[in-house]
Amino acid sequence: MTQNEPSKMRGLMLVAGREIRVRGLSKSNVISLVVTVVIVGILAALPSLIGGDDSDTRVGLSGDTAPAMQAQLEAMGGFDITVFDTADEAERAVEDETVDAAVADGSLFSLDGIGNEDETKIDAAWQTASVQTNLSDAGLSDQQIGEALTVQPLEFVTLESEGGVSSTLDYFTGLIISIIMFMMLMTPVQYIAMGVVEEKSSRIVEILLTSLKPWQLLGGKVIGLGVISLVNLIAMVAVGLGVSAATGMLSDLPPGTAGAAVSSIGWWLIAFALFGTLAGGVGSLVSRQEESGSVLTPLIMSLTLSYLGAIFLLNAPTSTFAEVLSIVPPFSGIAMPTRMAITEVPAWQIGLSALLLALAAAGALALGSQLYKRSVLYTGSRMKISEALRRAA
Amino acid sequence: MLEIKDLHKRFGDTVALDGVSLSAEAGEVVGFVGANGAGKTTTMRIAMGVLAADSGQIVYDGAPLGVEQRRRFGYMPSERGLYPKMKTGEQVAYFGELHGMTKAEAKRSAAELLEQLSLTERIGDFVQDLSLGNQQRVQLAVSLVHDPEVLILDEPFSGLDPIAVDVMGTALRDRAAAGAPVIFSSHQLDLIERLCDSVVIIGNGRIIASGPVDELKAKEVKQLRISVETGEDLTARFSGTVTRDGDDYLIEDGDDQEALRIAAAAGRVTRFAYDQPTIAEIFREAVTR
Repeated sequence: MTQNEPSKMRGLMLVAGREIRVRGLSKSNVISLVVTVVIVGILAALPSLIGGDDSDTRVGLSGDTAPAMQAQLEAMGGFDITVFDTADEAERAVEDETVDAAVADGSLFSLDGIGNEDETKIDAAWQTASVQTNLSDAGLSDQQIGEALTVQPLEFVTLESEGGVSSTLDYFTGLIISIIMFMMLMTPVQYIAMGVVEEKSSRIVEILLTSLKPWQLLGGKVIGLGVISLVNLIAMVAVGLGVSAATGMLSDLPPGTAGAAVSSIGWWLIAFALFGTLAGGVGSLVSRQEESGSVLTPLIMSLTLSYLGAIFLLNAPTSTFAEVLSIVPPFSGIAMPTRMAITEVPAWQIGLSALLLALAAAGALALGSQLYKRSVLYTGSRMKISEALRRAA
Repeated sequence: MLEIKDLHKRFGDTVALDGVSLSAEAGEVVGFVGANGAGKTTTMRIAMGVLAADSGQIVYDGAPLGVEQRRRFGYMPSERGLYPKMKTGEQVAYFGELHGMTKAEAKRSAAELLEQLSLTERIGDFVQDLSLGNQQRVQLAVSLVHDPEVLILDEPFSGLDPIAVDVMGTALRDRAAAGAPVIFSSHQLDLIERLCDSVVIIGNGRIIASGPVDELKAKEVKQLRISVETGEDLTARFSGTVTRDGDDYLIEDGDDQEALRIAAAAGRVTRFAYDQPTIAEIFREAVTR
């Protein structure tokens, strides 16, 4: 038999691989992933389902303005146009429901309204067509009419107000990012602590440590659960975006959404390194699963506070509170990507926040692995952090 | 050859090990005996690198034991541990890989071992669904899967049924026959006597007796026993302290050759031997001394 000299990385990857196989491919994880993905898919499809059918609105036209209106409506899109010879015919067509609405004799006929959006469009087309017709009647050439009607489109400028949110969609993007970040940190953090305690309580750690270094064991666990979470996250995002694209909702999302989603993954990675290694470290302080709750409380509390802070921040993204929260770790892990989704954040703040969070993660990595190294073989009642740090490894 | 040299270890104010030394030659089975809390587990944990000694050294084939060499050791801790929610075959193979085997080697070796241990049918079952006895066998498979060069087993026989004891005993002897030093601790002294070449007795963190089983027994010889078929009472004729027990005469501090001549002249000698103590007796004696 050949005995390969396993590299340090191989040990780390073996541990990560086991976590992925045993936890990621476990029935419960696969089922929960499928359920979540279905829910995300339904949520993404909901707007178009509620919005009814997307088929064109059938509009009947008659009278002098009909040709000009037809041109306007066709340019707008979303209308199926029929031109009638008389206003009566057009009106009858509405009654027969061969068209949804008809414009005749300066009136818009419909059975029970056709929705604000279509009404506004038709009204705009009517006004333009009427002006065109009037100008033509006044003896202007088509070119003159064209010039007269060419106007610079209105430029939309949003003046940011303290505590203001630019749009509802941005708000929801921020909300969804904060919820997903929270979930994607909370779940694996608990799994890491549970996994550490499982190995301690089943005493298997003693065999593991004869062929692995503590950092490989802890690191592999953090990486394995990180990969599982990342796969879950990607599955959710892919299904959400895929369904949105299929139902045509994607183009309605704010332009920054994709960027915010991508940068969220970066923030998540740093925040996960921070919380994940700390969870492993504090998990090793106890020997029984029942006790893991008590040592995890500070981590869960700070995660929950980060989340609540991010929710609060949604309503005041430019306040001092929001700025501080999105720069100070560990809160910045959730707060900064949330803030970035809803408002323009100065680059220096993003850089500072990322740097501080990365430093905190490095500190957590050192603290978590020291705690782990010193207390993972200790069995008995719960160990204090100070006691663990005083112990020789 | 594995040598454990002058280990010292304290836990707070408690001295766990106070200069413990022992060794196992290639192919030698060493029994490690001691009362609870005597220091067996601590010694083995230090040998396996799970615990650090305050001072002392582990030497393997003449050089300090390194991490990569230790990876080729087989270890069974006294507190058994397996992943409850991992399949039996997968779990054994996983440990093979951790010990440096390739995936294919580990898988093959796990399948072979589990077959030897009559667990082939349970290869796809979760460990938590196995009986305690079968879990013990899986534990043994975990410590043997990488064809270890050295075996260090803490109480490998505890909780085993007689059949599993035989399987384990055979496995240990096989490894030793293949040239591996084997050190195991046990409270079952009859097993130690049957399986071991040498015995090390530890008490309160110190080695109180050690050596080949035969030598230890010879050193602790109790008395000469002569069985003679004769109607005559020979008690007064033997020298030394003589006790008669039917046809048997138990003689201490006498001249054995003279006693043999006297007995042979008196009748048919059916037995002439020094009573040897069992390991259990030696242990009790050593511990109470």
